[in-house]
Amino acid sequence: MDAYGRLTPKIIDELASLLGSGGIITEDRDLLENYSWDQAGRIWGHMPDAVVRPENTEQVSSVMKIASRYRIPVTPRGAGSGLNGGAVPLAGGIVMSLERMNSILEIDPINRVAVAEPGVVTNDLCRAATEKGFLYAGYPMSTETSFIGGNFATNAGGGKVIRYGSTRRHILGAEVVLPSGEVINLGGRFRKDTWGYNLLQLLIGSEGTLAIVTKLIVNLEPKPGKTVNLLACYPDIETLVESVSKVINSGKKIISCEFMDRNLVKYTTEYLGCRLPEQERSEGYLIIQIEDDNEEQLEESYEVVGKICMSCGAFEVFVAESRTDSAAIWNVRQNGLEGMRARDPYACSSGDLMVPLSAVPEMLRRISSAGLEWGLEMGIIAHIGDGNIHPIPIKPENMTPEKWAIYSENFFEALIKEAIELGGVGSGEHGVGHVKQHIITQSKSPAELELLRGIKRSFDPLNILNPGKMFFPLGDQQHQCK
Amino acid sequence: MRIAVLVKQVPAVDNVKIDENTGTMVREGVEAELNPLDLHAVEAAVKIKESMPEGYVEITAITMGPPQAKASAAYAVSMGCDRGVLVSDKKFGGSDTLATSRTLAKAIEKLGPFDIILAGERATDGETGQVGPASAEFLNIPALTYVSSIDELNDEYIEVTRSIEGGHEKLRAPLPAMVIPVKEMNIPRLCTLGGKLRAKKTEIPLLNADDLDLDENSTGLKGSATWVINVTYPQMTRQGRKITSSGRLEETLNTILNFLDEKNCLGESK
Repeated sequence: MDAYGRLTPKIIDELASLLGSGGIITEDRDLLENYSWDQAGRIWGHMPDAVVRPENTEQVSSVMKIASRYRIPVTPRGAGSGLNGGAVPLAGGIVMSLERMNSILEIDPINRVAVAEPGVVTNDLCRAATEKGFLYAGYPMSTETSFIGGNFATNAGGGKVIRYGSTRRHILGAEVVLPSGEVINLGGRFRKDTWGYNLLQLLIGSEGTLAIVTKLIVNLEPKPGKTVNLLACYPDIETLVESVSKVINSGKKIISCEFMDRNLVKYTTEYLGCRLPEQERSEGYLIIQIEDDNEEQLEESYEVVGKICMSCGAFEVFVAESRTDSAAIWNVRQNGLEGMRARDPYACSSGDLMVPLSAVPEMLRRISSAGLEWGLEMGIIAHIGDGNIHPIPIKPENMTPEKWAIYSENFFEALIKEAIELGGVGSGEHGVGHVKQHIITQSKSPAELELLRGIKRSFDPLNILNPGKMFFPLGDQQHQCK
Repeated sequence: MRIAVLVKQVPAVDNVKIDENTGTMVREGVEAELNPLDLHAVEAAVKIKESMPEGYVEITAITMGPPQAKASAAYAVSMGCDRGVLVSDKKFGGSDTLATSRTLAKAIEKLGPFDIILAGERATDGETGQVGPASAEFLNIPALTYVSSIDELNDEYIEVTRSIEGGHEKLRAPLPAMVIPVKEMNIPRLCTLGGKLRAKKTEIPLLNADDLDLDENSTGLKGSATWVINVTYPQMTRQGRKITSSGRLEETLNTILNFLDEKNCLGESK
């Protein structure tokens, strides 16, 4: 077990004088509780001893210097929208919330980058880029809530990965604070940096276990052309899946290819008080977003793609061109989790299976039969163009929430094993946190784990930064659940 | 049965900008779309068609505007209208609601006879809501406004429910009649790929001022009874003060209370 230092009144005074009264929370249990859990659910939470809310890099650095002097664990936190407990302070100590570092510092049109602090809501960054005639192409489906810093920490994916890649592809540079408090700058306002070990890329997706990001330089794409959304309705999942690779390989600019099953659409439209067309007949829907340079080319593109869907067995394809129609379709997709949670507040969101596109049909079959075997009702959404599937099971009525937390994770473990067997991995985009730690760690070879431990040790020899996460359980306990 | 639907192309923005110098709408760089409220009129027409034996109803979508407004008629065709017609001429430029209604009534007469004419409640750019009823007036037919449902329809008459203040009103009118739905009447359908392909193949013919026997004194700027003389925008300023939480609830509340007190907002009750 790691022997961490205690957060004494003296250290708290030291932090308070550094951060000002608004910058630290230590006594108010209700406020502290807000920082004890994330969207994995309260059941996976753990109370911090203090929350610090720095306003700038200097304060982050000073806090880390104090934390390393006294060996206090520090858990960095963005919006708390993560789904695997990545922001939960498992060892207590300090939660470092980056919510007050929320400025978009610059949109630089010449270098086509934006510079932002980690607490900027991703959607605000997207909007600011659009206003200047650019596109920030990172699009986690939680854009309304998630922070760009959290997207960096988890290498967030989302609905446009098939076209633009995950967050990794959009980050050109970062200022980060090391566990020692030292500040380093990686990358910059350039796109070519081909030599040596790429520390920037190593930090993206490291879930705050190696360093704390305090400033990001992100790539902006030129303003996209016109887009249209197709909603293809299928009588069964097999034919739907058959379309996916054909759509992606159609040679057209496919921005998104998203899947929703019947159950998910049913509960989400009930929650939203709306309907999608052909709901009675559809076992599944594909939402396909297509981009092209002008209206004529776009028409030709969606005609080609729509015909592919029809020839694969879709019984109807709808074309949403206007803002209103597009929003009506995407609203259902974006609210899928909320829809399932309106059906059952314990609907579990941590399913994040990733398989090669060719294995998607088999994975969906296995999910379906596992659901029957485990007696679970579920809805399924998927970034199906990537092979990234999110089953969302709901708690059986007679099961306690405590039992459900274990039961659902066991269910996902079983599915992850299936995904790995099919050539995939256990987490596509939700990260590992501590909820998925057990199974993800199991899937790594001893040699790989040793390399990963070596990296962690070289950044964070005292193991104070987000301890207990990813591949490194707290002490010798294998599965943390409080 | 022949149905006409009046549709208009509008800017696809939440707040229409008017050029303060010219008094005309700023269209540059703004995407266009079919007026959202007209979609309910199109949907109503297509629903009538679907409720009747196949081939019994024919729907013509009529749009008036610049050449690019043709897209709105095509959109209505992709939703299920049979034909689309564009009413367009430089001479129509600057038409107010009176001149527009006169022009559209002429087009309806030319393309008619129709049993039912459907129109949207109002356009999201002009927000006048006058063109539907005024066109009915020029055609000398009854106008059924704020229609929330069509209850009965045959070759002789139409029976509808109107939304009125505090309740509903049932009305029967002989055909031909103008019917103007409220948005609660239906949910406009999404266009199908098949509908889009059909619209692509459907020619949208043009009617100009000569086709409608309209001289320049009865349409466009000269045929209008009103002109925009001046447009100004109110200056938007914030006069508030931003109070940032100090992290201590009581302290922050006191700051807010003191501020309200300074502004004499707390009255005697403080």
